[in-house]
Amino acid sequence: MEGLFFNVNNGYLEGIVRGYRNGLLTGANYTNMTQCETIDDLKLQLGPAYGDYLASLPPNPSTSSLAAKTTDKLVSEFRYVRANAVGSLAKFMDYLTYGYMIDNVALLITGTLHERDTRELLDRCHPLGWFETMPVLCVATNIEELYNSVLIETPLAAYFKGSLSHQDLDELNIEIVRNTLYKNYLEDFYQFVNTHPEMSGTPTAEVMSEILEFEADRRAINITLNSFGTELSKADRKKLYPAFGQLYPEGTLMLSRADDFEGVRLAVEGVGDYKAFFEAAGLGGGAGAPGNMAGGAGSESKSLEDMFYQKEMEISKSAFTRQFTFAIVYAWVKLREQEIRNITWIAECIAQNQKERINNYISVF
Amino acid sequence: MSTQEYKDRQFLAVIGDEDSVTGLLLAGIGHVTAAPDSQKNFLVVDNKTDNAAIEAAFERFTNERKDIGIILINQHIADRIRHVVDSYVKAFPTVLEIPSKDHPYDPEKDSVLRRVRRLFGE
Amino acid sequence: MSSAADREAVFPTRQSLGLMKAKLKGAETGHSLLKRKSEALTKRFREITRRIDEAKRKMGRVMQIASLSLAEVTYAVGGNIGYQIQESAKSARFRIRAKQENVSGVLLPAFEAYQTEGNNDFAMTGLGKGGQQVQRCRETYARAVEALVELASLQTAFVILDEVIKVVNRRVNAIEHVIIPRTENTIKYINSELDELDREEFYRLKKVANKKQRDTAASDAEMKQKREDKAALALLDQENQAPEEEDVGGGDILAGEDDEDVIF
Repeated sequence: MEGLFFNVNNGYLEGIVRGYRNGLLTGANYTNMTQCETIDDLKLQLGPAYGDYLASLPPNPSTSSLAAKTTDKLVSEFRYVRANAVGSLAKFMDYLTYGYMIDNVALLITGTLHERDTRELLDRCHPLGWFETMPVLCVATNIEELYNSVLIETPLAAYFKGSLSHQDLDELNIEIVRNTLYKNYLEDFYQFVNTHPEMSGTPTAEVMSEILEFEADRRAINITLNSFGTELSKADRKKLYPAFGQLYPEGTLMLSRADDFEGVRLAVEGVGDYKAFFEAAGLGGGAGAPGNMAGGAGSESKSLEDMFYQKEMEISKSAFTRQFTFAIVYAWVKLREQEIRNITWIAECIAQNQKERINNYISVF
Repeated sequence: MSTQEYKDRQFLAVIGDEDSVTGLLLAGIGHVTAAPDSQKNFLVVDNKTDNAAIEAAFERFTNERKDIGIILINQHIADRIRHVVDSYVKAFPTVLEIPSKDHPYDPEKDSVLRRVRRLFGE
Repeated sequence: MSSAADREAVFPTRQSLGLMKAKLKGAETGHSLLKRKSEALTKRFREITRRIDEAKRKMGRVMQIASLSLAEVTYAVGGNIGYQIQESAKSARFRIRAKQENVSGVLLPAFEAYQTEGNNDFAMTGLGKGGQQVQRCRETYARAVEALVELASLQTAFVILDEVIKVVNRRVNAIEHVIIPRTENTIKYINSELDELDREEFYRLKKVANKKQRDTAASDAEMKQKREDKAALALLDQENQAPEEEDVGGGDILAGEDDEDVIF
């Protein structure tokens, strides 16, 4: 049924996005890239996919400028799709950008807290998280002003409301603020795809639920693992877990009580995928053995983080098997982001002459 | 040079590009002195930073601050103020040129290594 | 006549000769001691320069590894954390301590890295994503900084030793090429002056002796003459009061002559 009218508004964009997806680098491309001796070689390899965007780079560009240019391509494609989107797809894509907005806002809050000139921070903001009123944030010179008059005007206002006061912005670690916002954002997004009349019950809701649940679980696990040894209390930690996902509610409850890597492993045991990740990471890159990969010794075992990324890419890839869904936009953005990360990683390995770890990229095509 | 003078020097300072500074700060060398003057012991240099600012920071770390024992400076930034670095001959604080991510280390440019070379007539 | 120009301004006396001889001996001992010190320092210096050269080359590698670990953080966090790190830096966890090492009487400072407990400005960084990488990166960089601190110690030692060796060598050369020759010249000068004085004195004494001899001879001759005259006179009026006159007159004349001689 849902397919009946989908193409009226969104058929063109779905075609475009599928086209973009086909433009993603494949395993063969990556294999070629890893053979490169210099960044210039790499640039040449990227020619067919990124041509115009890399043209303005100087010979032997730095890895960060390479990353910036590849991101530019994603941004301009995203903007094109966004400009052509109407109705609920437009709204859906706005939701997609909120995640980046949170990072940008967190950055600006940090700047305001330290009384820096936030104007120069605008350059550092992620372009996807740009919103019209963002430059206005720079007008605020103290946190109270920022909270009361500026943040209210942003699309993120709803995420601040109810969970963070302006005192919190002052006192809490910016990471807690960021993660609180992110939790609220994920819950809202989840709610949105499942209740919006045009999306609930469609493949969009189905696929997006899977993706968002995974994202929620991943954050919960990461926050738990990373909070060991910090001043983040268990009660505060619990507040940062999104209230949905495969782990919710039993798993998150156990996570909130976990004291070590082992505790986290027990908490996630109910979910097959995560159990497998933890078994693989158990001896390797887990939090129980910090510093394992440090020093650049070519560690073969993948870190938990790597496996999460791998999983995310697989979910994103399978999203394209569905038709008449907005989820492919989300999936495409994530796949493209991973591609940029891969390129940056490979470039970095070439630049730092650390070829033994160059194969740590994640390719699903 | 009294013992006391370098007993107080317990910090490192860094003048570098963003990545170098970030990494070194992660290692925990960052220090901001107490308010109100809150002096940082690091300076991030990018293309927009002018040489006068770098020189001023170098001057501040080498001469004014009495609590800095080692100054790390990216080699490509040292190149920008080479005359100042080369004419700095004091033993304290020590100025150490380090490579940066995008600029591999070139021993030919290092002011200390050049002295080494000159001494051995190579 | 460089010797005349390059000597110390002293009176050529026996006392200053003694002083100069002591000084020469001191200079020679000092020279050999300093020479040995310079050799010891130079040995150390060469060792340090070799280690610097090595360490500087190694540093490139260490920093590359560290950079890659930062790249790993960027990869995992999915963004640049630079600004946040810069702003959250408050108190240095990684500090250095300077201690001293004594090499042939030169105090060489050496840095020692230590980490203060309990303050971690970045514990929360990457809480939602990439926190493990951040912590690993911290450790990698901490190790890299340790290597850098070690290198900094070497470099400080290098700069100080360089300076000290220059000073010591300057002293050695000064002693060898200036002080010792000059002292030797002074001694030579004093010796020659003293010899000269000796000769003068000898000559003078000889002169005096000559004159004395001459005078004595003259007075002897005069006396003889007088005596002969008197004898002749006595022979002339031998019959009258001759014996008394003779003794008194002869004695008076002799004493007078002698006095005059001494005064002259």
